[in-house]
Amino acid sequence: MLELFTEMWSFAFMRRAFVATTVLSVSVTPVGAFLVLRRLSLAGEAMAHAITPGVVIGFVMAGLSVTWLLVGGLIAGIGVASLAALLAARTILRGDASLASLYLVALAASIFILSAAGSVVPLESFLFGSILGIDDPSLMLLGGVATVTLVSFAVMLRPLIVSTCDPVFFESQTRRPWVIEQGFMLLLVLNLLAAFKTLGTLMAVGLMILPATAARYWASTVTGQLALGFVFALLSCWIGLTLSYLLPETPSGPSIVLVAGGLFLISVLFGPLGFGARLRSRSRAGVEDEPVPYTHPFGKSP
Amino acid sequence: MSAVLQIRDLTLGYPDLTLFRRLSIDIEAGTTLAVLGANGSGKSSFVKMLLGLIQPLSGQLTWPRGRPHAIGYLAQMTEFDRRFPIRVRDLVAMGAWQGFGLWSGLDRAGRDRVAAALEECHILPLADCPLHTLSGGQLQRALFARVMLQDAPLILLDEPFAAVDQSTEEHLLSIIERWRHEGRAVVLVVHDLSSVLDHCNQVLLLGGGHATHGAVESVLAPERLVAQGYLSESQAAWMFRGPAANQVRRHA
Repeated sequence: MLELFTEMWSFAFMRRAFVATTVLSVSVTPVGAFLVLRRLSLAGEAMAHAITPGVVIGFVMAGLSVTWLLVGGLIAGIGVASLAALLAARTILRGDASLASLYLVALAASIFILSAAGSVVPLESFLFGSILGIDDPSLMLLGGVATVTLVSFAVMLRPLIVSTCDPVFFESQTRRPWVIEQGFMLLLVLNLLAAFKTLGTLMAVGLMILPATAARYWASTVTGQLALGFVFALLSCWIGLTLSYLLPETPSGPSIVLVAGGLFLISVLFGPLGFGARLRSRSRAGVEDEPVPYTHPFGKSP
Repeated sequence: MSAVLQIRDLTLGYPDLTLFRRLSIDIEAGTTLAVLGANGSGKSSFVKMLLGLIQPLSGQLTWPRGRPHAIGYLAQMTEFDRRFPIRVRDLVAMGAWQGFGLWSGLDRAGRDRVAAALEECHILPLADCPLHTLSGGQLQRALFARVMLQDAPLILLDEPFAAVDQSTEEHLLSIIERWRHEGRAVVLVVHDLSSVLDHCNQVLLLGGGHATHGAVESVLAPERLVAQGYLSESQAAWMFRGPAANQVRRHA
């Protein structure tokens, strides 16, 4: 067993993959937590698809260039988000239906363009990622996005918490509530692009959502949600990459997301805010309606 | 008494719908103004206009003492996310979040203010409970405590008693009375003729494209309530002659 790990570490691409996914876990954790808390989990998935045409056009024009990936993805992501917001504001469609319509077109267009251009890169690497694709520019992109994300969250955290918990109150207390909303959507697109090479478009949002939803079953504070979400994301990446190495021909993205799915399942069953709590409260018949005393997930006050 | 806000010739509505025209009113310090009207008469729009969230079609708002740093606001609970992972004391502290700065947290004085507000709203023992464990009445008490943290000269409460029991309503009304005695102006949106009006100095009746304001006794006359579409004639006849007449007559 030890030999297997030694062998895995001897490959530069595996060491890069571990570094990349560790940085990615730091970066996507807060984005994923607030996607879940703001009830935007499915919008995150839609945005992951929406950036694909930009990425594909960038790839067709300039190959696997990180700059073109970033520029194309940002234009596509911001374009689709803005158009969806416009349709929701000016037409009869609601926001979810507008975004769903546009991302489906975006996804189909990107597959069409990629096939029509006769790409030598297999479609699977776009959809599911490839650890072999993590080169120096990709690592630089990950580091840059993680830095921007953490600094932005340090500045935005309090208004983001207030606007998520009580949006009407937040709107009444600030002159430009849209800054927080749009800033958060920009961070989402940036992180999806950062996760693109490792996890692919289909799986990128999995590392955001699943650790966050799993953490929600254990944590009763935002601090706990963020800390536990990071631990789950990191575990998913490390275990998922190892599995992907042990089972050749399996892409890294689905391996990582499947491990995250396993952690989610465990949390549903045993987390104090999942089925575990219901089982315990049944055994305390008659006191279900009493407020549950607050317990910090790490045993101390945050 | 001095005016916290002077409203002159206010016409409120939307491009294709005028809610009411030419309202002039002073919202005085140390008074409680009840805003009453049928659904769609513009009660919540009036509150949103005071907050600056929507612009009036015409008219002028003047703040004689300068626009306050904060306006205390308690919205209807429909958009509130009760599953958000936050403790009661943190929800209350939100009332002062704009004073925190980027990096620092609540100082000792701030924490004492939070504890005092929780104590006054009778929810100090629940301070460390997550929100989703609270009942509707307990959550409303926590939101009142958050308004206390805002320490605002003007407080807007949009149907605060819609989902609370009688004892909670009585306690929250006593808190509103205290705010009034502290010299704050309270605007209270209510949806029915109830004992809540006993705690108000003035009433603003909206409906039928008009806004009428004045002392509670003078505004809530049956013919006016019918004319502004708040009651039908048969409802007015029943309410002012029927079993509930004694209570209603106190306001008419």
